[in-house]
Amino acid sequence: MRVSRPLFGLVLLLAVAAVAGWYFSRPNVSAPSGPSVTVYYTKLDGTTLGTWDVSFRAAQPGESDAQRLHDLAVYAALQAVAGPPPDISAVHFPAGTRVRDVSVNGSTATVDLTREVGSASGGTFQENGEFKGLVYTLTGIPSINAVQITIEGQTVGTLPGGHLELDAPLRRSDW
Amino acid sequence: MHRFAARIGSAFAILVLLATTVVRAETVSYAFERSSITFTHIGRTPNGTAVGIDDPAFRSLLKSLGATLTWRTGERMVLITTSAPEVIGFGVGNPQYSVGAVTAQARFAAYMNGSEVYLPFDDVLHALGVSAQDGVLERLLTSLDVQGYGVQAVLVAHGGGILHPRVVTDAPDRVVYEFDGVGTTLAAQRTVNAGGIRSVEITSSGSARDPKTVVTIDLLPGTRHDAPQSGSGEFEVAFGANGSAPPLVEPLQQSVAAASQSAAATPSPPPSDMTNAAATPSSSPSPQATGNATVTAVSVQAGNDGSQTVAIAVTGDATYEWHRLRAPDNRFWIDIENAQLAGGPQDQAEVNPLIALRVRQIDPQTVRIALSLAGDNALDVSPAATGITVNVGTGMLADTAPRGGTGSIGAVVSASEPQTLVTPVPADEYGATGGDQTNWKFGPQSYVPTNPKLIVLDPGHGGSDRGSMHGDLQEAILNLDLAKRVQAILVARGWQVKMTRTIDHDVDPTPRSTQEAIGIGHDNADAYALQARDDIANEAGARLFVSIHCNAYLNSGPNGATVYYSKPMDEPLAQIMDRDIAMSDLGVKDDGTVKSHLYVTLHANMPAVLIETAFLSNPTDYAKLASSQWRQQMAQAIADGIDKYAQQNPVTSSAQ
Repeated sequence: MRVSRPLFGLVLLLAVAAVAGWYFSRPNVSAPSGPSVTVYYTKLDGTTLGTWDVSFRAAQPGESDAQRLHDLAVYAALQAVAGPPPDISAVHFPAGTRVRDVSVNGSTATVDLTREVGSASGGTFQENGEFKGLVYTLTGIPSINAVQITIEGQTVGTLPGGHLELDAPLRRSDW
Repeated sequence: MHRFAARIGSAFAILVLLATTVVRAETVSYAFERSSITFTHIGRTPNGTAVGIDDPAFRSLLKSLGATLTWRTGERMVLITTSAPEVIGFGVGNPQYSVGAVTAQARFAAYMNGSEVYLPFDDVLHALGVSAQDGVLERLLTSLDVQGYGVQAVLVAHGGGILHPRVVTDAPDRVVYEFDGVGTTLAAQRTVNAGGIRSVEITSSGSARDPKTVVTIDLLPGTRHDAPQSGSGEFEVAFGANGSAPPLVEPLQQSVAAASQSAAATPSPPPSDMTNAAATPSSSPSPQATGNATVTAVSVQAGNDGSQTVAIAVTGDATYEWHRLRAPDNRFWIDIENAQLAGGPQDQAEVNPLIALRVRQIDPQTVRIALSLAGDNALDVSPAATGITVNVGTGMLADTAPRGGTGSIGAVVSASEPQTLVTPVPADEYGATGGDQTNWKFGPQSYVPTNPKLIVLDPGHGGSDRGSMHGDLQEAILNLDLAKRVQAILVARGWQVKMTRTIDHDVDPTPRSTQEAIGIGHDNADAYALQARDDIANEAGARLFVSIHCNAYLNSGPNGATVYYSKPMDEPLAQIMDRDIAMSDLGVKDDGTVKSHLYVTLHANMPAVLIETAFLSNPTDYAKLASSQWRQQMAQAIADGIDKYAQQNPVTSSAQ
């Protein structure tokens, strides 16, 4: 039996469409879990660090190292600012403090926080503890060794009525 | 004709291709909190509905729940921080998502549609504590547990958004809380008989558009309870039986509004003994089971090394979640979903490390296995060929151990072992003097005072900056009072003393020095004011700079005196000062010396410390700070420390 060329083309196109439809709609059940990220918090003695682990998504095909580093830094910063699970006693950021943005430039991560970070009238204890946990978390990421804090996109010298100097990148060696 | 047919055929094929590969756009409407919410960025997949993160309704829902979304174009991970706060993470192409430290399996992987990420709708709602059923979105009371500590108990509820119930009844034998706008699937009555709680009943009422959940707690005679603590996504009430005091619980993370309205309660570690393991699961009659998998047996086997293995035999496919109750109650439960329990409830007392084992059908789809463990023993839950294996007592529970996890039995392959991507800190970097001691950022390595008899005292805050305020006490005033007392003692001993402020006002910056020190284009009045304090000492060539403060925190737990420092030359002064305060019989806890990145100590050219004398937020410390006699004692200790340092570190022509 002879099949005409246009009809063959149509059948081929339909076959391609069906395969493509299956490919793009198939559930992805085999993606591996990603690596774990160690998140630091300061215990209520005000100085000692504790850690907990969260899993980070698996690497994606075609993802650049810079993109993955950026996403990892965002994830780590959000976890550090959110703090550990509620059954772990820790020095917390003031309620409502959120990460607005994270960027990585060279070995410095810039973490932009919402203004609520300055809302607490806590003393040195709180500032010291909250930023120590955040800085240790981000500098635990290979290639990041300093963290610049900004608030609502602005570099600040200190928090309002604050104590820590924030206008230069913070490092683990600051503690 | 053939050409025409080919064109028609091609167009048809392209249409088929589009129909099968591109997610069809449509809208979905729900009733939500007395109004209607319509999602317009909806996608359909074979495994469920997806919602686009740019959907205005989705953004509005997140806002109403107090959650924030973090994502920028090109990012492959969508992060949502809940009001709790807890971070929910979805990765594009990954069917696993995370809620805090717990990893869960989504119905399908988040995917890109154009430049927008689509999330599995049901899973994201579940993670947010919201249900979508019958055209209604409602915040849910997702869990309620009673954690018993013998004569004490804590009722803990979790849910979506901010849980602020109304107290309907507060009588000696009954308390009733109503959660307006919150639905639940937990409606049931449970007998508790722990911590003075006779039973707990959860009922749903209201309408689909205006749901209410009522929690009624029947109390035994003589039961006391604290005021409930409401926070973001969590609600707690502590009870004490027979007139005993309820356990003190960790204050909840509050919403911004709530935090500003309520004073924090006193935190303290809850009791360490765990004498009642009967609070969960429910002892109410088993619901009729409808799950497809079957839990056929739960048995305990002792290992040679003192460990135990709990073998949960399951036939069929099912998923499970396991959770750990909050410390110090070392109890775990495993919920096997889509499962029915064969053979009825099971209660089993065991010896160490497993104390008790209970098995129940807690709802038609769920079998719960509850385990009580002795001491700090840990357990390990893993899927097995015959069901689930729980190894008990193979290690000790770390305070950062996961509080939960998920898994599956049967068809779904479990995830591979994760790697660690972040470098842990060496153990010796923990602690008060941790960190790289050689890599100091600021400060000269040596200092020769031009005025070796001059001490600069810096009463922190002042004027428009009140510092911490608790009760009738204001830090700005207390700092000035303490500094003046130190000044008087030092002057009497022959020192010259300069104060950065002598009245309750702002310390005005001097523009020249602040611009030099801080940099042009940097606009921050608070840093200018701190620099102005350093300028006073630096320009005078003072011997020492001592900043005096009162500490505070969000809750009343932390207490004690701490001496902060920043530069290498500060450390000897900090140590002497701390030792003197610790030995001065002040009755305040010695929190030691702490290196930190403090502005005033960093930018003082001379040895400098910042002394946080006590915590205004702690009732015991507060009482001391309120006492003029105590403040005089503290001033004496600070003055003695300055004297001692000066004696041990005489000024030489080279440096100190």
